[in-house]
Amino acid sequence: MAGRLKDKYAIVGIGQTEFSKDSGRTTRALGVEAVRMAMVDAGLRADEVDGMLSYSGNDSTDSPTISSDLGIRLNFYMDVNGGGSSTEALIGLAMGAIEVGMCNTVAIFRAMNGYTEARIGGTGRQTPVFRGASLDQGIYGMNSAGQSFAPSFLRHMYEYGTTSEQVAHVKVAHSKHASNNPKAYYPARVTVEDVLNSRWITKPLHLLDCCVETDNGSALIVTSIERARDLKQMPAVIMGVAGRVSKPQAGYHWTRGPISRVAGHYAAPIVFGQAGIEHADVDVTGSYDAFTFTTTLQLEAYGYCAEGEGGDYVSSGIIELGGARPNNTSGGHLCEGYTHGIALVAENVRQLRHQADDYCPNWQNGEHTYDYSAGGCRQVKDVEITHNLGWASPPTGSSLIMRRP
Amino acid sequence: MAEYLGVKVDIASNDRARHEFLEAAGEGRLTLQKCVECQKLRYPIMTACPFCMSADSNWEEVSGKGTIYSYELVMHPIHPAYRERVPYPIVLVELDEQREYPTLDDGLRLVSSLVDGSGNPEDIEKVAINARVEVEFADLGDGLALPRFRLSDDVPEHELWRLPS
Repeated sequence: MAGRLKDKYAIVGIGQTEFSKDSGRTTRALGVEAVRMAMVDAGLRADEVDGMLSYSGNDSTDSPTISSDLGIRLNFYMDVNGGGSSTEALIGLAMGAIEVGMCNTVAIFRAMNGYTEARIGGTGRQTPVFRGASLDQGIYGMNSAGQSFAPSFLRHMYEYGTTSEQVAHVKVAHSKHASNNPKAYYPARVTVEDVLNSRWITKPLHLLDCCVETDNGSALIVTSIERARDLKQMPAVIMGVAGRVSKPQAGYHWTRGPISRVAGHYAAPIVFGQAGIEHADVDVTGSYDAFTFTTTLQLEAYGYCAEGEGGDYVSSGIIELGGARPNNTSGGHLCEGYTHGIALVAENVRQLRHQADDYCPNWQNGEHTYDYSAGGCRQVKDVEITHNLGWASPPTGSSLIMRRP
Repeated sequence: MAEYLGVKVDIASNDRARHEFLEAAGEGRLTLQKCVECQKLRYPIMTACPFCMSADSNWEEVSGKGTIYSYELVMHPIHPAYRERVPYPIVLVELDEQREYPTLDDGLRLVSSLVDGSGNPEDIEKVAINARVEVEFADLGDGLALPRFRLSDDVPEHELWRLPS
């Protein structure tokens, strides 16, 4: 049975600043620009937005400040702690807040100087001290996201014969997509050999298995399907959403097995159940690519391939533009830039509008060449349904299925 | 003051369980919390039993013997304490006690360091899934110690597996 709120809410506006490693601006300026762009995109005035949600695990500026700068009076706001997988979870919370009548239209943003101010794994410049939960893993030298997640991937390699070469295809595919994205921080196409020849960060992860860290602000606007009909853009209609679904004992990924099975295993029945669709109905996926293998393990956990076959799936050509179900058509975190997942949702909204901002001269009108050579098109033809697979860590993830009206 | 690899170890005074865990290690014992109700061991340190919700537990000494369940080899250091220690292995050790509970894919697993006889990071070429390991203790000062592991002479139950180079 499909979800009670299926098709009743939509994303009606998207806004994004540039991706850079030197924004030269505060997170306040990035957040304001992103929210403002999303409002302009949707055709919303300040008095037509009355809800705001944001998330951060490091640097950000809060909703009262961002809304004040734009002259928005809020009936609802929350600024929550959270990195990856927060976007989809907050979209669900926005739907709930509107549904119960707390507000009508919600702007969701993430603003971060993820390179120049607060880097994910730390900069190593802070005064070090081992305390609290860091005595469970940090004291053993397991500190960054890559260090924390790597044993899940290694165990997958052991259990299923997954190889570095197979997951390198994720970077190859996403770099192909980025080459057709004028916003991408790394627009150059790379080969499997480039990934395998890049220096080791923590075995089994090479440098090019890891995503870029960038400064960026991105925003989305959620409202009811009734209000969406009066706005400027074609709404991306929300069919199903799952927020921060977790494995048992989610505090650490390594306590409960199998460790190579990630949270999507638990999120899949929720989101597919609400949407009432099958995998074959999905045209485009947006799988959180903090690392090449995170995309691989998620596509597998959500059932796009059988357990253990993630390596075959991502290296088969399916996930590339021109393939059966392209993933991260923007280039994703590996190549476009990193903003904790929100940009991956924005990209799928563009795909549903048939307005991927590629190098096609009339992309604004939905006119595309479908020539996926470098410097060309990145719109997938006739996209009807997209699926976002958000990742916080191996044991926690979120999910969102959207469609064209 | 407790210290590890030149970095201060600061344990909150109200975190009694963590003090007790590290104090036992200081006496050369690896101890885990054991639920008073369901008698199950658990790790990491928790304030209730994840299997039956009981709030009461006692410390039970375990053998300190186990098997490497997964690992990684850190080549690019991030934490200042580890800058001079690369390359170093991080191992996920599954203890011999309470294997395959609560499911066949579960066990008592600890993130830890694999060190050689001198307490330095073990040669990364020697690290393997299924390798047998045993606990050792690194002195932190103040009567506390940190459990770490080293390779043992036990015969592995399954074939060793290493990341292809």
